[in-house]
Amino acid sequence: MPERSLLDLDDLSSDDIIYILDRATRFHVAPPERNLLRDICVVNLFFEASTRTFTSFAIAEQRVGADIVALPPGSSSLGKGETIADTAITLAAMGVRVIVTRHPESGFPYRLAESFDGHVINAGDGRHAHPTQALLDLLTLATEFGRVAGLKVALVGDILHSRVARSNVIGLRRLGAEVILVGPQTLLPDAMARAGVRIERDLDAILPEVDALMLLRIQRERIASAVLPSLDDYARNYRLDAPRLAKLQPHAIVMHPGPYNRGIELTEEVFASSGWRYVQQVSHGVYVRMAVLDFLVNGRSA
Amino acid sequence: MKPLLIRGGRVVDPSQGIDAVRDLLVRDGIIAALDEHQAVDGADVFDATGTIVTPGFIDMHVHLREPGQTHKESIASGSAAAVAGGFTAVACMPNTEPALDSPALIAEVLRLAHEAGLARIYPVGAITRGRQGKELAPYWRLRDAGAVAFSDDGATIASARVLRQAALYARDVPGVFISHCEDDDLKALGVMNEGVHSMQLGLAGSPGLAEDIVVARDLLIAGETGKPFHIAHLSTAMSIELMKFARAQGFAVTCEVTPHHLLLGDDRFERFRADAKVNPPLRAELDAAALRAAVRDGAIDAFATDHAPHTREEKAQLLSEAPAGFSGLEVALGAYARALPDLPLARFVELLSCNPARILGVPGGSLRAGSPADITIFADREWTCDPSRFRSLGKNTPFAGVTFPRKALATIVGGRIVMQGVG
Repeated sequence: MPERSLLDLDDLSSDDIIYILDRATRFHVAPPERNLLRDICVVNLFFEASTRTFTSFAIAEQRVGADIVALPPGSSSLGKGETIADTAITLAAMGVRVIVTRHPESGFPYRLAESFDGHVINAGDGRHAHPTQALLDLLTLATEFGRVAGLKVALVGDILHSRVARSNVIGLRRLGAEVILVGPQTLLPDAMARAGVRIERDLDAILPEVDALMLLRIQRERIASAVLPSLDDYARNYRLDAPRLAKLQPHAIVMHPGPYNRGIELTEEVFASSGWRYVQQVSHGVYVRMAVLDFLVNGRSA
Repeated sequence: MKPLLIRGGRVVDPSQGIDAVRDLLVRDGIIAALDEHQAVDGADVFDATGTIVTPGFIDMHVHLREPGQTHKESIASGSAAAVAGGFTAVACMPNTEPALDSPALIAEVLRLAHEAGLARIYPVGAITRGRQGKELAPYWRLRDAGAVAFSDDGATIASARVLRQAALYARDVPGVFISHCEDDDLKALGVMNEGVHSMQLGLAGSPGLAEDIVVARDLLIAGETGKPFHIAHLSTAMSIELMKFARAQGFAVTCEVTPHHLLLGDDRFERFRADAKVNPPLRAELDAAALRAAVRDGAIDAFATDHAPHTREEKAQLLSEAPAGFSGLEVALGAYARALPDLPLARFVELLSCNPARILGVPGGSLRAGSPADITIFADREWTCDPSRFRSLGKNTPFAGVTFPRKALATIVGGRIVMQGVG
């Protein structure tokens, strides 16, 4: 029986999510003793470059007292004939209890978890899921508004290619928020519609009604792959700038998973606005990841 | 060889409009007589009471992997899988290594098939050299060597000009062109059908349009050139409409459908495993329902498995790396019956025997006296798919653990019982 993993937010009940957010808040207020994961070996297995998430996990692991091994991308023998199952079995045999993994292909952590006798934490797989990012976003919302239920949250931009968006949709719905996805057809196909998720093409129209905006990174490759005509054309409809900021409600906040592109999905005015929460998001990331490690390894304490 | 008397079975032979209990006498590898009660001194008697006896099943679309990929399948193992599944003959696709684009390679396949000595093997020659989509294969010489049809299966010929030239040159060569229809550019890196499921899983999808657009093109080339075309493994509702249009124009076109496209939808990738990865991909349930309706209303000409064995290790890879396809020969009969439980038996036999024989221009498809004694005997009997028992080297199937309502009991090729009572 494989141990509990966090592959996407649908692995967690709304109670679990609330528990993790609550623990993260407590860790924020009063850092725990560095012994929650004493003698637990955690491997950070990243197949894709990452500064933010990798560092955030490493700090979180240190703060809960885990033994940490980081395998830099390319050092794994995966792809040299060793199968995913071989890697999982090898690491487990060395006593590794937790694998934190990021991979460019959707589904990699699922395939790893099916053979690994331990906990797998998905730190981002392809376009599929990024559950700890969604948890830190939920924590940012909960901290701001004291609740997530009933909030109206719009995710704007490249929804199709975004693992952040997918996990956030699950988490936001699970906690009772209203989700609006906003973007052009090529970045937000009609087939992404599902129960409880509104699709809108006109950002200006929804700005006055939302409590929070989550902007997503626009990648320049989308122009070469004929998904977007130009960054200017995208900016015309979807870039958050001063006139659009002015349409938001005074209490509304603006979030971004980073790294953001100045001048593309947002302008400088956003950084100076009272609703910009990027720094809080990054800070919450460490506490949420501490709480996830503690939750998976130790379960729910009273 | 002693005469063989197949006694007391329900004989279903649409080529003669027969559906009745009959005794079938085989002598010297040929159907000698089909009568109500026969007694023949010195004959071996096969008691077929309670079973269904039909012209031998022909699978016009299989991959036997030899030469070049015998770790996946060989002509011997593929032949064993064929007869285990009730098939007396199969047409094998040319995507071997090297591709079947020369008379010597066709001859080699036939030599290996003879050595295996089970099912009849009909090689399909390539349409272009090396299946590269650029230069034409030598159709007359491939035909002389024994190729029954031509295809670059697995690779769509990207150039309409090349395919048109090929069809014009090959128009008078006996042997249909079999089209694998997927626009590589639209498909891009798609590992499954593009739709609500691919969107939710964050997997790159291949849209149904990637098939439709090539089906339309190939049907138009068939019409313009006059070369008969057979569209392989249709998977979309629109492809069926395009087939109906082409038929209404009087084009010489036929098509086939696989068990997996009839039965399965694109909701099978939740755990990101590659078991159900196949080309063209499993589509939405609406497409599968349209395919089942098309079988019933006559728009589909043939059942074909697209038997595409791979090793366990290959299929255990990530979705982007794992090869497409899975074994089909040993589940086909059960899967067709499960997909279409109400399909009249005569139509079932047409799709599995009479029509494939006619499309390929090969013997079979009839129990008329004087025909080769290629016979399939089966029954409506429940069984559960256990891939570890496959004769095929490819143990991968999305049907593992599925219960099927129909099962092959015996396979007779040229009057010889080559399979009987497989577990």
